[in-house]
Amino acid sequence: MSKFKVVHYINQFFGQVGGEEMAHIPAEKRMGPAGPGLAFSKQFGDEAEIVATIVCGDSWFNENLELATKTVLDMVKEESPDLFIAGPAFNAGRYGVACGTICDAVKKELGIPVLTGMYIENPGADMFRTEVLIVSTANSAAGMRKAVPVMAKLALKLVKGERIGASVEEGYIPDGVRRNFFDKKRGSTRALEMLLKKIAGKPFETEYPMPTFDRVPPMPAIVDMTKANIAIVTSGGIVPKGNPDRIESSSASKYGSYNIEGVDDLTGETYETAHGGHDPVYANEDADRVIPVDVLRQYEKEGKIGKLHDWYYSTVGNGTAVASAKKYAAEIAEKLHNYDVDAVVLTST
Amino acid sequence: MKLEVGYIDIKGIRFGDYNAVEDGILIVNPEPLLEPVLEDPLIKSAHFEIATPGESIRITPVKDVIEPRVKVEGGGGVFPGMVSKVDTVGSGKTHVLRGMAVVTAGPIVGFQEGIIDMTGLGAEYTPFSKLHNLVLVMEPVENFKQHEYEAAARLAGLRTAAAIGELAKELVPDETVVYETPSVAESFKEEWKDLPRVGYVMMLQSQGLLHDTYVYGVDAKRTLSTMISATEVMDGAIVSGNCVSACDKNTTYHHQNNPVIHDLLAVHGKLINFVGTIITNENVYLDDKIRSSDWTAKMANYLSLDAAIITQEGFGNPDTDLIMNCTKLEKQGIKTVIITDEYAGQDGKSQSLADADELANAVVTGGNANEVVVLPSLDRVIGTLDYVDIVAGGHDGSLRPDGSIEAELQIIIGSTNEMGFNRMSAR
Amino acid sequence: MVNFWRLTLGGEQETLHANKYQIVTNNPMVADVFGERCRVVFLEQGSDRDVIETVRDLVHQHYRVLTAPLAGSVKPWETPYRSVMVSTSKGSAIDETSLELVEFALMVIRQSKERLETTKPSIDSDFQTIDLSLIESALPSVEAIGRI
Repeated sequence: MSKFKVVHYINQFFGQVGGEEMAHIPAEKRMGPAGPGLAFSKQFGDEAEIVATIVCGDSWFNENLELATKTVLDMVKEESPDLFIAGPAFNAGRYGVACGTICDAVKKELGIPVLTGMYIENPGADMFRTEVLIVSTANSAAGMRKAVPVMAKLALKLVKGERIGASVEEGYIPDGVRRNFFDKKRGSTRALEMLLKKIAGKPFETEYPMPTFDRVPPMPAIVDMTKANIAIVTSGGIVPKGNPDRIESSSASKYGSYNIEGVDDLTGETYETAHGGHDPVYANEDADRVIPVDVLRQYEKEGKIGKLHDWYYSTVGNGTAVASAKKYAAEIAEKLHNYDVDAVVLTST
Repeated sequence: MKLEVGYIDIKGIRFGDYNAVEDGILIVNPEPLLEPVLEDPLIKSAHFEIATPGESIRITPVKDVIEPRVKVEGGGGVFPGMVSKVDTVGSGKTHVLRGMAVVTAGPIVGFQEGIIDMTGLGAEYTPFSKLHNLVLVMEPVENFKQHEYEAAARLAGLRTAAAIGELAKELVPDETVVYETPSVAESFKEEWKDLPRVGYVMMLQSQGLLHDTYVYGVDAKRTLSTMISATEVMDGAIVSGNCVSACDKNTTYHHQNNPVIHDLLAVHGKLINFVGTIITNENVYLDDKIRSSDWTAKMANYLSLDAAIITQEGFGNPDTDLIMNCTKLEKQGIKTVIITDEYAGQDGKSQSLADADELANAVVTGGNANEVVVLPSLDRVIGTLDYVDIVAGGHDGSLRPDGSIEAELQIIIGSTNEMGFNRMSAR
Repeated sequence: MVNFWRLTLGGEQETLHANKYQIVTNNPMVADVFGERCRVVFLEQGSDRDVIETVRDLVHQHYRVLTAPLAGSVKPWETPYRSVMVSTSKGSAIDETSLELVEFALMVIRQSKERLETTKPSIDSDFQTIDLSLIESALPSVEAIGRI
């Protein structure tokens, strides 16, 4: 019976090229297993073998995402493997992101099972847990001995197409899919034990983490609008014509601050939308439809509001990560504070 | 309250010329048992069948599962307010025919659910595949009113279980356990001072036809949250009128054998001070929910609880009550663990509950009821397969030509029980 | 003769007798039974989603939801019928609890799979009966209250 062919991805450190000072090396392929691959090989026995190992510098991967992903993908394709594994990355952030990224790409491009492993707090975990199975490991390489057998076992299940059990059974980070399994004790006993831990202030693990709804309590209403300094903030992606800051049409990696001093009206010649999530025709014709500069300016002239703030802040909300949105909002809020802005008209599409 | 429970283990059931329990075997003479059942004009026909663990039998559609018990000493009779007078139960001595159940089967409405498989994959998901089941199959007359027929079927099951329970009155139990619940004054005794004061909040289904629960015969819909003793529950003070969904409705058997009550009593005086049980309802009217959950929190406060386990029954509407009860207790500084089940979709990706709050940080789950399973074709059906396609969790074509069934766990009695009866969980 | 009123497209309210509650429903049995008693917004060909969305629109207009929108353990993807009791008086602002309940209900309905088509008319009548029973269970509560 032929063995399953596996390709393994590791970073410069586990590939024994060097530490941080060698993180810039581009991807290179070696035949056979290397580094932790040797431990994997032992676990795989005669069911699977690592035919090639790709060693790649963490910095090189993260700073050249597109090129690196393509390069590694091509290397993987050459081997026509049945299975692809990466890491484990433990708590190394860039390594974790690289593992997640390349696993996701291999899964989507080649349609073969993929598996990686990292510490639950590795940024790569949050980013990729719903796309790729990630075995939960300790936060340092000291956890290698424990991680490899768990990863190997799960990897073999994946490549054989066997049923994957619940996250606690198989040892992977919960991936957003609820799976049933039979625990050792009945629910009432589990509840009692959980309660005893909770009472004693000991750590316990809930069987179902509640979804978090980020609630923001609203500020008190403006008392006198005629004196208020109003600013415009938008995720509608309105930018000066030509999109000088190159804000992306989706998954925006930045926001822009644009001066509208003396601007009474946004026109199709001066402004446009960068938003890729809807038909842009009407927004491009007249960007006031997304951010009401014309109306606010009129209110300002009529004394209905105190002032329209000289700057507006814009990003594209389409597919933008909550974490990114939070980051931009925090920075924009600081600017608004510095300018003594009283209230914001926040628009989206 | 103090109740001595004598368990008589039943190892088999067979039909015979008389009704008795001999050497652990229940001998059933159907005629005298069926007489009171058939007196009800709404019941056209009824008969008994026997299902033994391991047999290739599928029982469907199941209405209720009831354990035969009998009061030997102490006030009242089992199922007070339903089959016996309303006198308070929970003290003295009660005998239980353990290892068996009376299962009522037969349609009440056109869509049905409730399968108990005695062998195969389906058997793994229900606790009732491990019991010797005496199945009472009933058929309604033409043009019946659903509410009335449901009541008739419910009473028929309880009466039968009580009648069979009577057979245990004079028997010598195989095992005796004494259960004792403290009075409020006793709960403050010196000896238990350092133990956490723990309560159990039991939520009862109370929304209407096929969604009701009765406490001493009172419809839980019209109750205010109140206390009940663990031992009263063991004497059948709470019975089920709930038929939806098969997977998470609490059968009368679940109430009689409430696992939370048993687990808390087992460590009472050692790890915890099990102060008492609060029962509350799950009405559809919002102000009732607010009132009931406020009342529950108020009682928990009166009892100076440090912590509580909360169990619910049902889907959707009860999730709101569950979160209300949980958050109100937590805000009073009472630590909670809640037990629920999930409807996360067949792919397991949907939001599992219909309500949520970050204060509900300690959850035990009975599993995802939407998981699809294929139940093998079995040799014999007790009841009828007519409704399997139209059941909750079933679908057109659910019943395959070879007799196997492809359906969600929702269809199996007790599979995702929210009292924590089973070992099944999910992550 | 079934006595009920439809919510017009323009959203005009038709003031009838001063009752404490109105019912939004797509269940003809409910429309029939309650028609004489209170205002019924009967979405005759409407889906359960239409019912909840109509309730949501009413909530936006400051009406309060009086019963759990997801009443009953028969799941949204099993039964086509849904009835919700709503107040007849408006508040000064949108009731947050009502809004949350309605939004959660919509989320559950949206992520529900396709409804199983049932071909037996007797079953349809049973779903209607259950839905009616659920909304009827609220009657003793709503009629006991002096003021909402």
